[in-house]
Amino acid sequence: MLKFLKLYFFSFFVILTFNLQAQVSFDAKVSKKRLGLNERLRIDFEMNENGDNFNPPLFKNFQIISGPQQAVSRSWVNGVQSFSKTYTYFLTPRSKGNFTIGQAEVTINGEIYKTSPIEIEVTNAVKKPNDPNNVEGQIDGNIHLVAEVSNPNPYLNEGITIIYKLYFRNPISVSDVSELETPSYGDFWSHLIKIGRAEINMRGTFKGESYNEVVWRKAVLYPQKSGNLILEPLTLDLTLSLPSNRRDLFGRRILTQSQKTITTGEKVIKVKDLPKKNKPENFSGAVGKFDFDLILNKNTLKASESFQAKIKVRGKGNLNLFNLPSINVPNTLEVYEPEHNEKVKVTLSGIQGTVEDSYTIVPQFQGKYPIPSIEFIYFDPKLEAYKTLFSQELIVDVYDGPTSGLPSVNSGLSKSKNSIVPNDSSFRFIKLDTKLQQKNQKIFWRSYLFWALLFIPIVLIITSILIKKYILNQTEDLTIRKQKRAQQLAKKYLSSAKKVIQDQAKFYEALERALHNYLKAKLKIETTELSKSKIQKLLNDKGIDKQISSEYVEVIENCERARYAPGSSINTKEDLEKSGELISKIDRQI
Amino acid sequence: MIEKYKFSSLKSILFFGATLLIQNLAFAQASMESVFKQGNSAYNKAEYQKAISLYEQTLKMGQISAELYYNLGNAYYKLNNIAESIYYFEKAKQLDPNDEDIIINSNFAKNMTIDAIEKLPESQIVTFQKKIYGIFNFSYWSYLTVILFWIFSGLFLVYVFIKSASLKQTFFFIALGILIFFMISFLITYSIEEKEKNTNFAILFSNQKDIWSEPNQQAELLFSLHEGTKVEVLDILENWKKIRIANGSEGWIENASLRYLNNDIFR
Repeated sequence: MLKFLKLYFFSFFVILTFNLQAQVSFDAKVSKKRLGLNERLRIDFEMNENGDNFNPPLFKNFQIISGPQQAVSRSWVNGVQSFSKTYTYFLTPRSKGNFTIGQAEVTINGEIYKTSPIEIEVTNAVKKPNDPNNVEGQIDGNIHLVAEVSNPNPYLNEGITIIYKLYFRNPISVSDVSELETPSYGDFWSHLIKIGRAEINMRGTFKGESYNEVVWRKAVLYPQKSGNLILEPLTLDLTLSLPSNRRDLFGRRILTQSQKTITTGEKVIKVKDLPKKNKPENFSGAVGKFDFDLILNKNTLKASESFQAKIKVRGKGNLNLFNLPSINVPNTLEVYEPEHNEKVKVTLSGIQGTVEDSYTIVPQFQGKYPIPSIEFIYFDPKLEAYKTLFSQELIVDVYDGPTSGLPSVNSGLSKSKNSIVPNDSSFRFIKLDTKLQQKNQKIFWRSYLFWALLFIPIVLIITSILIKKYILNQTEDLTIRKQKRAQQLAKKYLSSAKKVIQDQAKFYEALERALHNYLKAKLKIETTELSKSKIQKLLNDKGIDKQISSEYVEVIENCERARYAPGSSINTKEDLEKSGELISKIDRQI
Repeated sequence: MIEKYKFSSLKSILFFGATLLIQNLAFAQASMESVFKQGNSAYNKAEYQKAISLYEQTLKMGQISAELYYNLGNAYYKLNNIAESIYYFEKAKQLDPNDEDIIINSNFAKNMTIDAIEKLPESQIVTFQKKIYGIFNFSYWSYLTVILFWIFSGLFLVYVFIKSASLKQTFFFIALGILIFFMISFLITYSIEEKEKNTNFAILFSNQKDIWSEPNQQAELLFSLHEGTKVEVLDILENWKKIRIANGSEGWIENASLRYLNNDIFR
């Protein structure tokens, strides 16, 4: 019976150990199932086979203080291998109540294992979390990790420094530190200041008590966003040694090693927006305290040479976080893209140094080119005001080269010394002589004089046309009258002859006399004697056609012939008409 | 008798006053020309500020000339006062548009401005028109108009009185041609006057000004101009002015310090 029992037990153990060997376990263990609000909870996820894809539960209602910390142990005891791998989290509850920590998952040998959910009860905060005699308790009161922020309420882009300090005091001493969680400063421009070796300052104070102080890290931050920005916590895993109650042979306390995770917790930085009031339009975004200058490397040069203009900002502030104002030069200058130079040092007090933009400028034409002053606006957080700096106005004198607006006189390669360039490419001298005129003198155009001068010719033309018409009429009358008079005259002289037309001898006597009398009257001849040749000569002298004069003489001859030799072939009527005609003709021609 | 005496004395006073006035004017002109000369020597000694004050003294007396404006422009150029310099060069150009010295130095001054404004390309008609208009200055055009009319009248009278039929015909056609020239000259003079009266050019004296699409700050910001830019003022609304620049862009400018380039001949 006993033997049977022994066998039974033996076989049971064998099966058990076999089972232990073969069976995979994956468990979650908590340090306590009931805890105060201000206490911590440690949770271990332990497995006895190496697994992958560990997937922790969502620790709802809990905050992870640290973790996961991974620990692997492997041991052989009497040839039996044991293995364990543990993921450890430290949690603090966020609120009171009953909570369930969900299932964690892990893949072991291709199969997914899950832990069972654990119920946790969170009660009111306990006055003294944990036992003061406990190691944990001793640690908690005597070690602190603090993030000191120089200004928790900065302006946007105003530099702040953050110093992480570790305080500890007796009886704790720190033997090893490792960083579990490093803040990434998401909304900040950040710069970590290197600290060569952590040095322990034995005379630090924390909350009025003396502590050993270690500066763990320094960072310079420039907030890039306004509003409440969260600084992620820095979490350190410390290996501490602290004396236990036990003593060694010599009565010294035996030091015990203890792990401690310590965190700064989240910090909130309230970043103020720059004041909207009086905010200049072309504010560069620079915050700090700056000097500003514009420097040229030469003021006088030839065209097509180059000069450099440097826009320089020197000072303290977010130097590499804003754009420098751009240069503004006459458009006839060729400006190349600026070269950006930064000589910046980041110290605990912020960014310091010089930033400059160096422009290369090539003038094309000769002349003077003003470089107007450039304004640079920054915000001074100390004075809480915008400040505007102006560079001085500069003038570049380009003395040789083509003139703009005129065809360029490019002598090219054959530019000998002292060659006299045509003068039309240089600035001209003033004029020495002038003829001044009254400024607001009346202009001739559309003045009374102007209109008068236009009307005078018109009046002149009209009157002259009228006059001409009148005079022409008169002259026409004269000729007609002359003709009439001549006819009348002829009639008068010939009338006596006409009366005696029946008596041939008397008729011709009267006709001859009439013709003579007419000539005497017309030519104003006094003498009675008139030879025929003389008559012809006189008439010709008066400008009378030869034919007419000869006809006239012929008629007189006819008369004489008819008087002294009365013939048959004599036509008295014809002679009368002819002489009348002749008289009027002569009269018209004289 | 007494009245007559009074009248004659009044007349003599008037006469005396008139002669005095004329003498004064002539005297002023002569003395101002000597001030101009003083300005020139000050300029030559590089005392530009002094030269400017002397020249401006002449201006204040109402005496002007293209040379005076030109020298003022030069003096301001030497002092790097861009806007003033450009302003006076433009004034000089108004009085003498074809002077080479004025054109060259005006280009130097324009070089100093920040903005390079490309002129709109002119149509051939406009350039031709400008060439024609620029043959004489304005007062010569008006004299020419009158002279052409007198020539026409003379020729017409000859046409009226001449007896020979063939000569009559030639004189008639010559007179007709001159009449056409007279009309062209009249129209040109008239249109020059209209153009000068209806365009309001000004020089911007403000350092830097923004040009907006509408006369309020909510509108779109179009571009900005710097001092020395020549603008044409098209409209005015309160303290906003609508302007056009040489490249044809238009916009509104607020509270700008503009100095008008009023032609001294017309206003």
